[in-house]
Amino acid sequence: MTETSNNQNAGAIRFGKANIVYPNGVVGMKDLDLEIKPGEFVVIVGSSGAGKSTLLRAVNGLNTLTSGRVEVNGEQVPRKDGRELRQLRKQIGMIFQDFRLVKRLTVMSNVLIGRLGHVPSWRTLLNLWPTEDREIAIKALERVGIPDKAWIKASDLSGGQQQRVGIARALAQEPAIILADEPVASLDPVTTHQIMQDLVRINRELGITTLVNLHFLDLAREYGERIIGLRFGELVYDGSADTVTDKDFEDIYGREVSKDDVLDEEAVDG
Amino acid sequence: MNGPAGSTVPSKPRRNWPLWLGVIGFLLAMTLWSAHGIGFSLFELVCNITRGSRLLEESWPPDFGFIPRLYEPFMETIYIAIIGTVVGGILAIPIAILAARNLTLGPLIWFTDRNFMNILRTLPDLFWAMLFATAVGFGPVAGALALSVFTIAVISKLWSESLESIDMGLPEAIRSVGGTWREMIQFGAMPQGLPHYVSYALYAFELNVRASMVLGLVGAGGIGMILKTQQANFEYERVTMIILAVLIAVLIIEEISEAIRRRLT
Repeated sequence: MTETSNNQNAGAIRFGKANIVYPNGVVGMKDLDLEIKPGEFVVIVGSSGAGKSTLLRAVNGLNTLTSGRVEVNGEQVPRKDGRELRQLRKQIGMIFQDFRLVKRLTVMSNVLIGRLGHVPSWRTLLNLWPTEDREIAIKALERVGIPDKAWIKASDLSGGQQQRVGIARALAQEPAIILADEPVASLDPVTTHQIMQDLVRINRELGITTLVNLHFLDLAREYGERIIGLRFGELVYDGSADTVTDKDFEDIYGREVSKDDVLDEEAVDG
Repeated sequence: MNGPAGSTVPSKPRRNWPLWLGVIGFLLAMTLWSAHGIGFSLFELVCNITRGSRLLEESWPPDFGFIPRLYEPFMETIYIAIIGTVVGGILAIPIAILAARNLTLGPLIWFTDRNFMNILRTLPDLFWAMLFATAVGFGPVAGALALSVFTIAVISKLWSESLESIDMGLPEAIRSVGGTWREMIQFGAMPQGLPHYVSYALYAFELNVRASMVLGLVGAGGIGMILKTQQANFEYERVTMIILAVLIAVLIIEEISEAIRRRLT
């Protein structure tokens, strides 16, 4: 397998008859057929346990399909750990609800972790990062607006800033795809909007295919271009964010949509 | 009946007295049976206790004039403990990581490593001291080697268990950027595991200082060797001095190491 970032398929994702059944019998993904084109901004909604995380984690091989296929950049996601899977993963950035930073290290060290796949192994062992990679890390921090925090310990940042470091780490990978698994679930409403705007802006500026799991419907509607609805691991909605109706959301959730499903707007507007 | 009417707290279950009495009776019976087995008799103990007190009388006061001659073997004991802790501490790192279920490289490696650890732990430090004493000759080198093995056993057991309870979120994040296994360990697991490691290494050092005295008794160098000689010559006042010196040293070392460990966790 060679570099695929110049490939015209870079950033494309395709699921075909994909199934994931967990060892405990829970169905995480059921007969999924889905095609995502390079550069799309897709929001995935569904109640908890609907398989949103399962879908994201199948893209970078953190979850393995039980049957069917998933292709990224036009190539099948390897089913086994190893060189090929690492080659693929280094082109896919991931952002987590709980940020997953090394708290006692500086912001810079955390962002450099995004370069792990691009740097020779002996260098990472000794923590000797090439100048080019440091520059890439600084650019990533500039893009999320916190270059001044480079030498601050990650634990000393606010939640929103920590998530920006998480985004910068993903950007440092110079990825074709970004997977954001509930990126705003542990943030306050104001910060939530800032992070969502960052993700949209990065998607537009760099053309990185972006998949975001969300559980707030108003956020999905506001920031999504395309919305995918999952229920019990099945694709039950796939359409534009402009035309999605409350009825569609009710179908996705299998119940009435309530106030709990939207982020409190007053906290933002007021 | 129990508590006010309408209370949602169910009435307190009654204590199972027959079970308690049974357990206590069983323990008592086991103790008596074992005492009989080793020929232990309270009567003889009381009759002969005076002989013990004669030993204590001969051991007092401690021979303070003996202190200068303690310095060298005492330092030897410390050297043995330091070498044992450093060598064993380094070797314990891969052994502990591979024995942690969540970080290991595969079931076969895990199983082998786990059993290797169990063997190291099951064999007592005295056995290792005698083994190495026959291999490299009596003296501090044998002691240092024995304590290295002992340190591996202590640290790998404690640390592998604490590694199993780390949050796997960060290691997974390292995997998701395309990191290798080693990078996952280095950047994902170590930031969480290192404070515990340091704490266990200090604890192992405490144990090693104490153990290196016992090892001296079987000829593995250090202050234990002097202790044995003086005891064989019936120089009980010197023996007391040695024990006193060791006691103070161990207390000081434990105090320092505990202060560091408290700051770590």
